[in-house]
Amino acid sequence: MSEEASCQSEEWLTRALAGDAAAFGMLVRTHQRSVFSLALRMVSDRQKAEDLAQEVFLQLHRNLAAIESGAHLAFWLRKVTLNRSIDRLRREPKLEAMPLDAADGVVSEAEDADPLLARRLSTLVAQLPAAPRAVLLLRYQEDLDPTEIARTLGMSVNTVKSHLKRSLSLLRERFADTARSST
Amino acid sequence: MITANLNYPTRTVLARRVLLTLLPTLALLARLASAAPLAPLKLPDFESLTGKATQSVNITLDSNLLGLAASFLDSDKPEDAAAKELIAGLQGVYVRSFTFDRDFAYSMTDVDAVRRQLVAPGWQRLVGVRSGKEKANVDIYISVDAGRANGLAIISSEPRQLTIVNIVGSIDLQKLHKLEGKFGIPKLQLEEGK
Amino acid sequence: MSNDLDNDLRAALRPVDPGERFTQSVLARVATESTRSARAPKLHTTTLRWTSVALAISLVMGIVVAHQWQVRRTQRGLEARQQLIQALQLTGEKLDLAYRVVNDEQPTQSAAEPGA
Repeated sequence: MSEEASCQSEEWLTRALAGDAAAFGMLVRTHQRSVFSLALRMVSDRQKAEDLAQEVFLQLHRNLAAIESGAHLAFWLRKVTLNRSIDRLRREPKLEAMPLDAADGVVSEAEDADPLLARRLSTLVAQLPAAPRAVLLLRYQEDLDPTEIARTLGMSVNTVKSHLKRSLSLLRERFADTARSST
Repeated sequence: MITANLNYPTRTVLARRVLLTLLPTLALLARLASAAPLAPLKLPDFESLTGKATQSVNITLDSNLLGLAASFLDSDKPEDAAAKELIAGLQGVYVRSFTFDRDFAYSMTDVDAVRRQLVAPGWQRLVGVRSGKEKANVDIYISVDAGRANGLAIISSEPRQLTIVNIVGSIDLQKLHKLEGKFGIPKLQLEEGK
Repeated sequence: MSNDLDNDLRAALRPVDPGERFTQSVLARVATESTRSARAPKLHTTTLRWTSVALAISLVMGIVVAHQWQVRRTQRGLEARQQLIQALQLTGEKLDLAYRVVNDEQPTQSAAEPGA
């Protein structure tokens, strides 16, 4: 989060804490992409992801007083979203074992993105176990470094690096397999 | 039951024999398991005496209070330990004592209500001594049930002091003897053979 | 797949906006929750506060009462001990008196009974 965005978040935080619904609305709009996308790529179901993301923001509204800064807000939202997602996957294991063609992959909005490639990669990521998947999302969706990922997920930096290495290796292998099978 | 017969010159000898032989016998009886619990004597208020006395002692210790008192006796101190042992079989200790500043400010009719209870079945006068020199009279009663002592009563009248003691339960006078010299208890000199 | 997996993953995993409908749903739920819990939380907080106060007072009173009971019990116990000792003293005195009378008394006429 840029410094300017962080300052703006803090202003909205202060106003939201004072009961300003519009300020809270701004906070939601600023962070809903991150929260929803994390939830979606963890639970692989749009409806469930929306519900989960809404729950996260409701929880935020109840705990506004605990948020110390804009940066803390971003950290808090990621952490809570992933915790709730992992809990959800534990309760519904079938969500985790989503077959390749049934995965509700989300196509990137980037104009330069290859939609097919993006879909394939999203699907492969959705097939990873919960912990390495969360690491990958924080790395490539949220652009966090291993130390920030470790702090968010409560893991050691070495574990984060290990997950990244294995996950990337697995993605290459599976992508190669899918490419071979489609030809 | 041998009692001191006041009308014979040998009463002193007899009384001594009673004290020297019967009190240990009483102690022996008392060491046996206590008989059926005895009700304490109904001691009057003695309001009239309280008004005349320079000092009044009114002690009523039922089994609860005896238990409480026992818990404040220090078993590490020999005198406390001896007292604890003595009261172990007791159900009650009741004392009324009045001290006056002139001779015979009280009347023996004041204790008639107590004496009447001591003629009831079960009670026996163990010793009754009359002292011309000290002008003191002491009557010691025991209550015996099925051959076991379960109560003691003492009525002591001296020129300037009247004392009534009622002990309910099995009292071992030899244990009381052990307390002599302690807590200010006078030496009882209950030596056998004397 | 390009050799640059990192870039491909970043592109594939760019965040997706759930839309304004999502935002409005969140705000609607927040508003509903705020209205529903407008009184309840206060009541809950107030009740909790008073319960805590009552509990604290009860605890303090309990400690005070227990302490007073202990003080009274100690007083009664020490009094009872003192009375017991006095009773034993008097009993011993009178037994000793009887013994003395028996031991030391010269055979004489019976002592005049007081008040007779």
